[in-house]
Formats: sequence, C-alpha cells, structure tokens
Amino acid sequence: MPLSDAQARQILDAALAAARRVDAGAESVVTLHGGRQGHTRFGRNEITTAGEVDEVTVTIAIQRARRRAAASTNQTDPASLRATAEAAGRMVQLAPEDPEVLPVLGPQRYAKVEAHDPAVARLSPADRSAAVAQVIALAESAGLQVAGFLGHSETVLAVATSAGLRALHRETRLSFSVTARTPDGTGSGRAAAISHALRDVDPVALGRKAVERAQRSRRPARLEPGRYTVVLEEEAVGDLLAFLTMSLDARSADEGRSFFTRAGGGNRLGERLFPEHITLRADPSNRQTPAAPFDAEGLPLAPLVIIERGVLRTLLYSRFWAQRQGRQPTGEPRVYHLLGGTATPSDLIAGVRRGVLISRLWYLRWLEPQSLLVTGLTRDGVFLIEDGQIAGPVNNFRFNDSPVNMLRNADALSRDTLRTEGTAGHLRVPALRTHDFHLSSISEAI
Amino acid sequence: MWPSRRAFLAAGGAGAALAMEAALRGRLAEARGLLVDSLLAEVTGRALDAARRAGCSYADVRVVRRRSERISARESRIDEIHLREDYGLGVRVLHGGAWGFAATARVLPQEAARVATQAVEVARAGQAALRRPVQLAANPPHVDVWQTPLSKDPFRIPLQDKADLLLAINAEAMKVPGIAFCTSHYAGLSEWKLFRSSEGADIEQSITRVGPGYRVTAVDRRSGEFETRDHDLPPMQAGWEYVVEAPLLRDARRIGEEALEKLRAPSVTPGVRDLVLHPSHLWLTIHESVGHPTELDRALGYEANFAGTSFATPDQLGRLQFAAPLVTLYADKTTPGGLATCGYDDEGVKTQRWDLVRNGLFVAYQTTREQAGWIGEQASRGTSYAQDHRSIPIQRMPNVSLAPGERELGVQDLISATEDGIYIVGHGSFSIDHQRHNFQFGGQMFYEIKKGRIVRTLRDVAYQASTLQFWRSCDLLGGPASWQLHGSLFDGKGEPGQANAVSHGCPPARFRRVNVLSTNRRRG
Repeated sequence: MPLSDAQARQILDAALAAARRVDAGAESVVTLHGGRQGHTRFGRNEITTAGEVDEVTVTIAIQRARRRAAASTNQTDPASLRATAEAAGRMVQLAPEDPEVLPVLGPQRYAKVEAHDPAVARLSPADRSAAVAQVIALAESAGLQVAGFLGHSETVLAVATSAGLRALHRETRLSFSVTARTPDGTGSGRAAAISHALRDVDPVALGRKAVERAQRSRRPARLEPGRYTVVLEEEAVGDLLAFLTMSLDARSADEGRSFFTRAGGGNRLGERLFPEHITLRADPSNRQTPAAPFDAEGLPLAPLVIIERGVLRTLLYSRFWAQRQGRQPTGEPRVYHLLGGTATPSDLIAGVRRGVLISRLWYLRWLEPQSLLVTGLTRDGVFLIEDGQIAGPVNNFRFNDSPVNMLRNADALSRDTLRTEGTAGHLRVPALRTHDFHLSSISEAI
Repeated sequence: MWPSRRAFLAAGGAGAALAMEAALRGRLAEARGLLVDSLLAEVTGRALDAARRAGCSYADVRVVRRRSERISARESRIDEIHLREDYGLGVRVLHGGAWGFAATARVLPQEAARVATQAVEVARAGQAALRRPVQLAANPPHVDVWQTPLSKDPFRIPLQDKADLLLAINAEAMKVPGIAFCTSHYAGLSEWKLFRSSEGADIEQSITRVGPGYRVTAVDRRSGEFETRDHDLPPMQAGWEYVVEAPLLRDARRIGEEALEKLRAPSVTPGVRDLVLHPSHLWLTIHESVGHPTELDRALGYEANFAGTSFATPDQLGRLQFAAPLVTLYADKTTPGGLATCGYDDEGVKTQRWDLVRNGLFVAYQTTREQAGWIGEQASRGTSYAQDHRSIPIQRMPNVSLAPGERELGVQDLISATEDGIYIVGHGSFSIDHQRHNFQFGGQMFYEIKKGRIVRTLRDVAYQASTLQFWRSCDLLGGPASWQLHGSLFDGKGEPGQANAVSHGCPPARFRRVNVLSTNRRRG
C-alpha cells in the first residue's frame, strides 16, 4: 500500500527535525516522492515480465550561509533519515559558497488539482494480465504479433521547508502502449494512451487500432526523400515539440545560447515567432492533463501562456534568474498544452494534394540547438496522401527538421488533443498539418 | 531442500575456499553499509523459502545497495552537491513457467517473505497468457566474490578535492578570451549486490564507476551564435585514481580554444567523403549499430514496442556479411575498466568474451539463461542485468568492442593515407532507426583532410549511413597501441526503462564514401 498523506507528512516532519538536529541554524527543504508501481509487459503474443514495487525517495537539502548540499535515501525509518541529514550536513560544511543560493520558501498557495483516480490505484496484477490477454487474443485472431506495456502507479510528491512551507500532491498514472507487427515483417502499427484516469485508457480499443494500423501499413511502397507536406499525428507532434519546451530557459536565452536569444543581446520576448493559431500554455490544473502544482522546492507552478497567438509571452525563470531580471519566477512546468484548432483528422488529410501522414517519431536527438534542429525517424505507419486521400503505405524516413518549422508552417490543427510524454514533462497536443518538412533519407526499418 | 551457501561449499569439500571467500567478503564489509551477514542470511533465506513453499521451480533474490555522489559546477560556483544511498531487495520467481517479480526498499526478513509471496502472485496472474513456459539454460551455482580493482575509493575522497578540481577546470577554460561559460561535473557510483538463488548460487559483487567531465561554451553576441565543446574523457569502472590521472585540467584551455575554433570555422559542404573516426567518436557508432542489433530479445521481437527489433535476425547467424573482412567485433564483460565488466551477471552466470562479428561475418548474439534455448544454445552468454533492486533483470549489452588491426598504425597514419576526407573526434548527436539500419551521427571536432593532411577545422558536420554499408566500407584500422576504451553510464532499454553502463573499445578506423551532411540552419 502506498503511503497515506498523513504518513508522508510524518516522514517529512521527521526529516525536517533530523535536519534541524544536524544544524539548528540552517535552512532545509525536504521532499518525498514515490509510491506503488505495477507493470505487465508482453512480447511475441505472451506476457514476458511483470512486477510490483512500492517505495519512496526522501531528499534532505540543507543550506547555511549560501552553502547548500542534498542527500537522498529510500529508507524512511528515523535512523536512516538522521543519517541522511547528517550526510547533507557534513557536505554543507565543506561546500563552497554559492552566490545563487536563495532562502528556502515559506508557506505558499497552490491551485487545486485532481489527478487521482482510485480505479487506477486499485489495479492488480490479475487486472493487468486480463487486459493484456484480451489484446493478445485479438492480435492472434488477426494473425499478428503484438508487444506492449501496461504500467500504472499511485505516487505522492510532498515538500516541506524549515520556513513552514507544506505541499502535497497525490496522483495516479496509467499507460498502455501496443505495437502490432505483421508476420511477414512488412507492417507495423502502434497505439498508446496515458492518463491519470482509467476511463481514458482502453487497452482493447488501442489494440484494435494498432492491429488495423499494422495491416494497413503492410508492404510499403518506395517514396523518395524530400521536402513534403506532412500530417503529424499527436505522438509525432509531442515528440518534436518536446525539443522546444525543453529550450524555454530564460537564462540561456539571456546568456546568448538559445534559439530564444536575440542577435545583438537579450531574448525574443514579445516577438511574433509563429502563426496566429499557435498557442502554447502550461497549466498543472488542466483537467484533462493534471500535474503537481509545485516544483521540487515547493514553488507554485502557476498557469503560463508561453506562446500566445504566435507571440512569445514568457520564458521559464528560476527563482534566481527571475530576481536578477525583475520577473516572476515560473519554475519548470510539468505539463505543456499546445492548443488544438478546428480540424477533424480527415480534414487534415483532405487538404493535402500530395504529402505524407506520419504516426510516430523515434530516436530524436539534437542536431543543432541554435535553430532547434533535430534529427529522428518515422516509425509504425507512414502513408502517402494524394489528392486528399490516403493512397497507401510508404517506407520510413529519417527527418532533419525543427519544432520551430513545424509550428511556423502549420496551417491546420486538430480539435482533439492527446496526452503524450516527452523528456521534458507531459504534453497535450493536437495532430497537425505542416509544410516543407524535410524527410532527408529513407530508413529500411519496418 | 535447496542448498544453502555454506552447505554447498562444504559439499564441495572446499574448506580452504571457504576461508578465502570469508576473507574476500570481509573486504566488502564497507560496501555493504548497514547490511550485516546475519541479516543478509535471514533475508535471502526467507525470500527463497517462501518461493519454494509456494511451488516455484526457480527463484533468485538480489539485495542491492547503491550509492551515488554528484557534484556539478557552473563557472565559478558549485551548483549541485547530491549524495544518494538506496537499499533494497528484488525477488524473481518462476512459477508454472511464468516470471513474477516484486521488490522492496525494506531489507527485513518478514518483508523478504512478503515480497517473495507477492512475486508468486504476479507470476500466477501471468500464467493465463503464457505460450512458451520459461526454460533456463543450465548454469553452475557459483559461490564467489568480485569487486572493481581500484586503489582509491572515490566515496572516501573529501568533497573539497572534487569541488576544487571542477572549479579549477572552469577557471582554466574561462581564461581563454571569448569563452563565456563552462560547466563541469563529477559522478561517483557504487553498486554493491548479493545474488542468491534457489540453485545455490551465492555471489557478492561491488562495482565502482566514476564519470567526470565538462562542457565549454563560446558565444558570439553580435551574431547570436554559439558553439560547445565537451571533453572526451569517458566514464570508467575505476576509483578516484582515474580522475586524478586524467588530463581534465591540463586540457581545459585547449578545449576552450577548440570551442572558439568551431564558432569561427566554415560550415561543411555536404557530399560523399571518406571518414577517419577517432575512438572517442567511433565507440558510439559501435554501440548503436553493433551492440543493439545483436541483442537476441530485440531480434526476436520482444522489444518491438519500445527499442525496436533488429535487421540481424537468427536466420542470418553465420551467413550475414556484416562488415569488411578486417573487422572483428566482440562482446566482453571482462574488459578491465569496462563499465559493464563484472564477475557474474544478474542471474549468476560467469562473465566472458566472445565474438559477435568475426572477420566480417555475423556469428553470435548476446543472451541470458532464458534466451539461450531460443536459438538452440546450451548456455547463457551472461548478459542479464537489472539497474537496481527494484528492476527486473533483462538482457543488457556487455562491453562491445572493435578489435585493433594487426599493423601498429596510429590515427596520423590513417589521416596520411586519406586523399579527401573528414576526421571526427568526440561524440555528438546520435540517432538510429528501430531496426538499426539508418543512422546519423555528429561529433565534437571535425577536420578536413586533403591529400593526407588536415587542412582546416569544419563546423556543422553529421554523417548518415546504413549499418551494413558502413561497416563493409571499413578499410583501415589503427593498431593495438591506438585502441581506447570509451563508454556511457546511461544506456536505456526495456519498459519500465532501465539504465545500463557500458563501454566500447576501438582503434581509430577509416570508412569509405560516407554521406556527409551539413546541419547548418542558422541563417536559413
């Protein structure tokens, strides 16, 4: 059983007391994160591994006279918390002064966020197996092979400081993803969903979608690399957009090492960077994609409008950089939301004379951070669009392009949005149509 | 009744061995932290007993203590000091032919029994969707102790020494006019683990890794352009002596000057060129295009939902001309200093060295005990690994290396032999498709070669190739003296994702007629 809220608070109080005993005159920030996680994994139409883990990590950060150090443990008994506080305390005495250390935060107010679904918290190994067995059965009846992953968690994130700050957030998370492959090895399709709520994740429906996608992608025709109009489905948009959301640091921009740097000095706040229909927000209390409303130090993550109708309205400010620049600190959002438009999925395709539908991207890496140029590959379903219709499956591609071009050249966004997960937080994004997208070479992978 | 460790040793008539083992284990007392012998005996005994009583055909328990120390510095200040220490145990059972796993952070006898019972429940739940009951390849139940050879335990070195080194590096790099920023970091990682199985295996290992490094950034405010240069020193399985002996501080000015050199360098003109690749670059190409495709679980489709599959399918074993005949690529979990090196893998199989590609021919996979039988092999290659107590052991990449050529050639010889090419140092951008055909790599420094000489530094270079075409185009290798070990602490695989530390050794090598592209979009 995961910790109750009361147990989590008790551990944090014990950690704060331990820090105080180490150095009564110091400030401290303690965080607790973790909970129960369960998963079932399958491949080649059978369950391969499954597991259950239930544990938390406690971090004790002590700071005194602009010296700061932290120590973490997964042991929550009083003796271990004491030992952890002592380790942090010893390090603080040896640490050089850091002029950027700020006083710990006092009590804060947070937005109310509902991110916990008891139905997800209750899921058992047997529930997981039953869902996976259904997906395997439907793949077998279609003569396909599936691999996938069903994972869920119930976690607590809690923060307390010696200045009286107390924050606690409890959330559930459920993810299911499935990849279906045709026995001849020429077709592959995938479907995935992630949510805090059970109702948003339907393994059987996702299994059907992956199977159907695999069948439709079978025996792809050859299409030459080049610059194409592309319709990017939600997972692909999320994958690429993450390279923009991880580049929003104001300090890097002000220091001259970011896409958001203005030539000649300063940053590009207030500039129109994208078309009118591009709006990017970050709001942990978004009901579809809720997230903890505070960061690891307890700083409130207020709703932000980062790009408003194409104009850069804010970058991300740490407490130190905000103070230095005379701005409000934003912290680092845990969830970004690219607002959808008015199109249906078929509208996106209908407007294309000749282009490519891309389901998903893979192995994205920086090529050139100045222009946010990224490389990566398409995967699990690429289709040629001709005269507003899907003409048939085509080979995979490597692309060399950027989220900046994706947004600049986007002329239609879907009404519905989907939660995806990137390396820099969750994203909720629409599918979109964009132009002049550089599919630079063919990948033979299926 | 399953044998205990001591009963097993006594049955082997190994009195002297028992004494030696006790001495070795004594040396690891500090690495165990709070975990004393009597507690470990009770905890592992309770877990294995609970599994046996539940009717498991096999069970193993890993008790793990992991420590990490991370320090980072930005310009003239230390911006992070973080120590971490975790304890826990993970129990893996085979029940009715299905795997079950559960883990806990509380290393206590009652908890061990509870977790074992929970693992059995998980296995039972999986039996409904079982097609091929798991069969483990035979493996002798080893009883042994192994630890990283080192002279200075990095966890005993004062924080001040580490902080001073990082700040000195930053100060030195920033003496170069035009260098605006330098961030440096140090990580010390310690992994102690005890493995006991229902078959009588009892293996205690202590592994220490260190990873220092830094990045220098040059900025041109007027144009709004910037370039970075990372030091090429790899992380290593070693003690603090490795950090002290490394030329980190000595190189700081040169690294700063090279960042500036890149900022001022002309952009590459795309085209087909010969490449001379330094070991600090080539290791990553080996990792992606040889290490991952020869993982058997990938090749068979078990990783299809995440990492992908492989072009190197079992029907190609012994047939596929993977590379030019001068190329031999081998797996080795015994390479001194290798990040994946250890005495035994996480299911108690003794580590070994074997060829994956011999004289250009694809000849073997990486396997675990479960996987050996999938391709008709009798024994595991010993590549099972779990990143911590709470993760399930899965097949993970051993150190995979390129054997040096027989002639004692150095990188300068390869450059001298090249008419029109690019010499690449250090690793940069890396990306490869999910069947490991199409890859694209950047680097840290790029030098144009004309008529056997380096004529200038270039900027914005990446090369794109397909795996087999690339390896078949290799026509020159450096000799044994030019061979270097590089690697990464964080190779990802599996769901839930797990990190594996792995090294790759290689000489410099030349590849013919590779597609080079420009990544310059700054003024586009």
